[in-house]
Parts: sequence; C-alpha cells; structure tokens
Amino acid sequence: MGSEAAGGNEAAFQPSAGEHKWMQRAFEMAKEALQNGEVPVGCLMVYNDEILGQGRNEVNETKNATRHAEMVAIDQVLEWCHQNGRDHAGVFQRTVLYVTVEPCIMCASALRLLKIPLVVYGCRNDRFGGCGSVLNIPADELQNTGNPFKCISGYRAEEAVEMLKTFYKQENPNGFRGAVAVRGSQKK
Amino acid sequence: HYIMGPQHKRRKTEETVPFAWEVIPVLSDEKSQDVKLLTAYAAPIMNKKETSRLVKEVAALYPLSGLQHLKRVRACEEKSSPHPLEIILCLVSNVKDHSDADTVVSLSDLFSDRNIDCSGLGEPFLVQVPAHPPLTRPQFEKASCHWPTSFHEDKQVTEALTGQLFSTEEKAKMQGYMEKAIRTAKEGENKGMELVGAVLVDPNTDGVLAVAHDCRNSSNPLLHAVMVCIDLVAHGQGGGAYTYKDYPACTFAVMDRSHCTLAEKCLISIDREDCSESEDSGLPYICTGYDLYVTREPCVMCAMALVHSRIHRVFYGISSPDGALGTKYKIHTHTDLNHHYDVFKGIMERECQQLFLK
Repeated sequence: MGSEAAGGNEAAFQPSAGEHKWMQRAFEMAKEALQNGEVPVGCLMVYNDEILGQGRNEVNETKNATRHAEMVAIDQVLEWCHQNGRDHAGVFQRTVLYVTVEPCIMCASALRLLKIPLVVYGCRNDRFGGCGSVLNIPADELQNTGNPFKCISGYRAEEAVEMLKTFYKQENPNGFRGAVAVRGSQKK
Repeated sequence: HYIMGPQHKRRKTEETVPFAWEVIPVLSDEKSQDVKLLTAYAAPIMNKKETSRLVKEVAALYPLSGLQHLKRVRACEEKSSPHPLEIILCLVSNVKDHSDADTVVSLSDLFSDRNIDCSGLGEPFLVQVPAHPPLTRPQFEKASCHWPTSFHEDKQVTEALTGQLFSTEEKAKMQGYMEKAIRTAKEGENKGMELVGAVLVDPNTDGVLAVAHDCRNSSNPLLHAVMVCIDLVAHGQGGGAYTYKDYPACTFAVMDRSHCTLAEKCLISIDREDCSESEDSGLPYICTGYDLYVTREPCVMCAMALVHSRIHRVFYGISSPDGALGTKYKIHTHTDLNHHYDVFKGIMERECQQLFLK
C-alpha cells in the first residue's frame, strides 16, 4: 500500500486558480453592502469553483451578535450540503473562504472547527482579528479545535479599510452597534 | 464520650460549609502570576536626618522609571540593626550589563564624578525588588517579603480569592442554575448530543432567560451549548437565527417564579434593552448584564461570542482541554478586546466532572 501523508486528508488540496476572481466578487459584495447602508464586508465560501455561501452581517435583524457574515455563509454551506445530501465535513475540508476583512476570533475558531483549509482576506481587523491581529487561531496549538489552516492576507487591503471607514462615518444611529463593532478600525 | 466527640464535630462542619465546591475566580495573567523580581543596589542610611536629602539626590540621578510602586526607603528589618533605614540606589541594569550583574559595587562606582554627597550612606548591597505593582493581596504579601511597595487593593478580587465574594444564598442560586444546566445536558444526551448544558440568567431579577444543551451533533456542528444559549436569548427578544423545534429542552423565557408569560417576558426584555441603551452609551446588546452558567469551560469560539454579546459574568464547572476562559486563553481579560467579563470556575465541579466522564 502507498504511504499516506502525515495527518493528510486531501493533503495536496490546491485553492482555486481563480483567487483573484473570487476576491473581486467579495469586494463587489462589500461595495453593494456599503451602498445599502450595511456593514461593508464581502464574504464567499467556494467549493469546486462554485459559490456555496455568500454571507452578509445579520447582527441587526437577528439581535444575535454572533451573526457575522462568515457565520451566515457557513450556514448556507450547511444548507447546501443538506439539500444535496452531502456530508458537510468532507465539503468544508475542500472549501475556501474569501473575505474582504480578517475574520474575528470567533469566526476564525469556527473555520478551524470546520477544518477549512484556506482563508484569503483583504485588510487586518485590529479590534477582533483572529488570524494574526489579536490572536492567531489558525496557527495556535489547539489539539481539540479542528485543524490549523492557511491564510493569505493583504488583498486590496487599503480599499477594504476605506470602505469600513466610510461606513463608520455614516453610522446608522438606529442600528445595533454590534453590527459596527463587529470589525474594522473604528474610532475610539 | 470519647467516640461521640469527633462525630459531633463533623456534623457541625457540614452545617457551616453547605457546599462541596468553591467559586474560584479566573483572573488575568497579570493578577495570577508569581511576583517577578529585579535586582537592585540598596544601601543603609546611617544617619536618619540625611534621608530626605538622599532620596531627592538619588532619585534625581537614578529615577525608578516604571517602578513607581516601589518605596524608595524601607525601615530596617532587624531591630538590632545599627542603621534604621535602607534606600534603593538604582537597578543593577541601570549601571551594568548582564555579564557581571551579581557583583557588589562601591558607592564611588555608582556615584563617581556625580554631584552627590554620599555622607550618611553605608556601603551598597544587592537586593531583590518586585518588578510590577501588586494587583492582588497574595501578590502584595509576596512582594512585601522582598521590598515594600504601594498597593491599591481591589476589595472584590480579595474577596473572590478568599471565597468570600458570594454569600451562602448566592451560592444556593448558583447551584440551582448549574443543576438546571446539568439536567439539560442530560436531555441533550438523549438526542445524541455532547453532554454540555448552559443557562443564561438575569441576576437582577433571578429570571432564567435561556436554557440550552449542546446541539453540535445536529446538522450544524457549530451549535455548541453557549452558541445555542446566545441565540435563544435573541429569540426571547424577537430575533434569533435558528429554530429548536427538534430540541424541546432548549428553551427561552422559561416559566420562573415571576410567572411571566412568554409575551410579557419579551416585553420586559425590550424594556430592559431601552433602559440599557439610554444609560449605557447606546449599547443595546442582548446579553448586557446577564450571567451564563455552563457545565464546562467554553471553547474560543464560544468565549469570543460572549465578548460580542457583552455578557456580564460566566460561571463554569470544569476546565476543558482547549478552553478559552483560563486554560488556553483568557479571552475575558484580553486587553486588546473592547469588552471584558468576570469568570468563575468550580461551580458544582464534581457533578460537572461526572458529566464529562460519562
């Protein structure tokens, strides 16, 4: 029998060649959100060159401060698996997250628990970032928290920050602050 | 008579200590770490009358920057000492590199070609001084063994460390909430879930706002008991992201002593939200002011979800291998994050442990 790569399921997994394409799409989503007065974060979960989840922040409408775009996108992937009779564990292990802002500590932990192999993001998140800014969840020694994952960062970072700044300036006074505090380099 | 004695005594002990568990605060690393020490040169003050002049001149030459907690002068430990006081001259690192750090120097080495009148000072000696201001009474007591420091005592931390923060009545309530969490965990087990339970409480009204068991073995592997609890509170306030019809043990606005109906409960929640919004700089966060009871230490996802939800306090039973409230991280005290909460562990520890081992 052939030798297996250590700890490797899909050891040779390669991210989609269309990395730029998906990040461009994520930025389009963030722009649309900004135009609609929503938190300007674009977030895609791509499996087999197909978008299975595109989340937007739903903290306001659910009154649940954990409903970040990534968590919403994860639920869409779960729903897709359910609809298509697929085992979610196998799907997540071959799904890439493209997001305009670094995932927060909670979302990074969720992605790690699901054994996502790769996260591609735009700007850092100095207030809550879980992929290097405040903590480094994908790389930390956590035996019981899924698998470590790889990050590629810095994609159109300045543009992503500018969108967040613009949003904070026109902050909706009736909105949950949670939606705003979710990410970014807010004042204070 | 001889045989009766100890038995009688034991019964008495049980009366005064009704709980087999203690509430242990999970403090920040700064507050729980051992006292770190720096090596300094000190010298006897031979003539007490020179003290204020010496302090002024030595401090001007060697200010103890970042070490404002240190008293510059201490009374001599031994009563029989020929000199009454001792003064810190400088840190060894102020005048030497590491290679010869533990050698003793003379006054002229420290004050050579400086404009200091050394009269009244004895020969320098090495001394260990606390590197950081003590933040807790145990740290203060250890630090004081080396050199006197100032100490701004946080009475609540002292009480928490000595097990005096919570009254017997409060501990009885905690036990009630944790028992509910344990019962619910077992209900979840009947549905094939991991044995974890959580209860969310408003400590101002003693109202139970949400009761949850773990649902991660459902179609959503991220539905840990804490995440379910947070979402159930959102349901109680007219929001929520998931339905729990397959999990009847996961409830919000459970009937409690206040006999609120579901609708009333929701109204109360909304009122509270408005209140907290007006008084608390517009932060209508759903878990503001609430307490969470959970059978085992939350993971980092759940601990951060509790930061986002602005939880007030978390009480858990036992530690978890990758726990984020004391074991691997202390998310609740992380200085870079914009919300912090108090964490206590050990609540019904043995019962929670049994749940875990099952």
